[in-house]
Amino acid sequence: MTKDISVIKETIKEHILQATFADKDKIQNDSLIFKEGYFDSMGFVVLITFLEESFGITTTDEDLIEENFESIDAITSFIIRKTDNQ
Amino acid sequence: MKNKDKRPFSKDILIIHDIDAECNRLITNIREGVLHKLNRLGGVIGISGGIDSSVSMALAAKALGTENVLGIMLPEQDSSSESALFAQKLADRFDVKAITENITEALEGLGCYQRRDEAVRTVFPEYDPLHYKMKIGIRSSGLYTNLPPLFSVTIVDSKGKEQSKHVPAPELRQIEAASNFKQRCRMSMLYYHAERLHYAVIGTPNKHEVEQGFFVKHGDGGADVMPIAHLYKTQVYQLAHYLGIPEEIIDRTPTSDTYSAEQTQEEFFFQLPFQQMDLLWYAFKNKYDPQEVASVMERTADEINKVFAGFERKIKTTEYLRMTPLTN
Repeated sequence: MTKDISVIKETIKEHILQATFADKDKIQNDSLIFKEGYFDSMGFVVLITFLEESFGITTTDEDLIEENFESIDAITSFIIRKTDNQ
Repeated sequence: MKNKDKRPFSKDILIIHDIDAECNRLITNIREGVLHKLNRLGGVIGISGGIDSSVSMALAAKALGTENVLGIMLPEQDSSSESALFAQKLADRFDVKAITENITEALEGLGCYQRRDEAVRTVFPEYDPLHYKMKIGIRSSGLYTNLPPLFSVTIVDSKGKEQSKHVPAPELRQIEAASNFKQRCRMSMLYYHAERLHYAVIGTPNKHEVEQGFFVKHGDGGADVMPIAHLYKTQVYQLAHYLGIPEEIIDRTPTSDTYSAEQTQEEFFFQLPFQQMDLLWYAFKNKYDPQEVASVMERTADEINKVFAGFERKIKTTEYLRMTPLTN
């Protein structure tokens, strides 16, 4: 598992682009992906599954807050915190 | 944003003031629709002992005559035994003939339970339907956030101890798809009786279910007439009192009655008590200013904006359910 921040961000971005068919230019690291409606419930489940499998983390109910998932930057910080604590 | 002709937003805004006129309008529409547009002799309706099917059946009985309505109870192995009791009570109250069609064997034949349980076991290897009940629920921080609801599977052992885990997407899709056999099987049975009798199928979804996508395409979404599809849930209750629906049915908490473990509709889908959901959905649909809504609902404008954004997302992501087949 890598903790290279740019690699993590790129991995997440690739997943988002694949899962949402979004325009590449519209998804920046600070884009508010949930506020802008890129994901529905199933998309959120797929994202969580992807993060758990790709980065070896486990999410708990307490983790499911907007601050952890609102953007690629936020998700990256969340993954780093989780991997540091596991 | 604010329209001059719009009534100020208030907690009473959904009260139907002339309930007699509204009932008469619905009754006329059902009669006109079934007899003159669909050219059918009567109606069949699936009755679950819940408030929506009860009100729809009462309206159909008044519109078409009790002798021209057939109530059908469609239980399966996971159905609550209370459902049949209440449904029969309803049929008796309105003097409508009711029959039971147990769909368990049909569902077994389709592999409904086996396919669902196989997916549940990938999350909980110890899950055995003989010893555990299961349900799908929402695992998130509610409506006042930009995050969509996240579904989890819960198993309940014989002592009532619950365990919940989030479900990977392929397994969640399999559980939902397998469970949807239930509504689709019911629809098939309703159409069997409707065609046999030259009747129409009376559907029972309310406004939230249709507009928010809380129905199964070609399942409970499959019907010829939907008499309460324009009504908010509190309005359905208002009609229920007016029409004389048995009190036990009115007092019953709405459940999905789809999974073996008890599960309310609020827990499974809506995430809010229906009184609040009604008002927020009305405000959203009628484009009320979030600040005005916030002061009535005792929330912040930011929270209301998040709720509205969630509603928009829900409409968008469930549009597929309401679409007719694409043709050239």
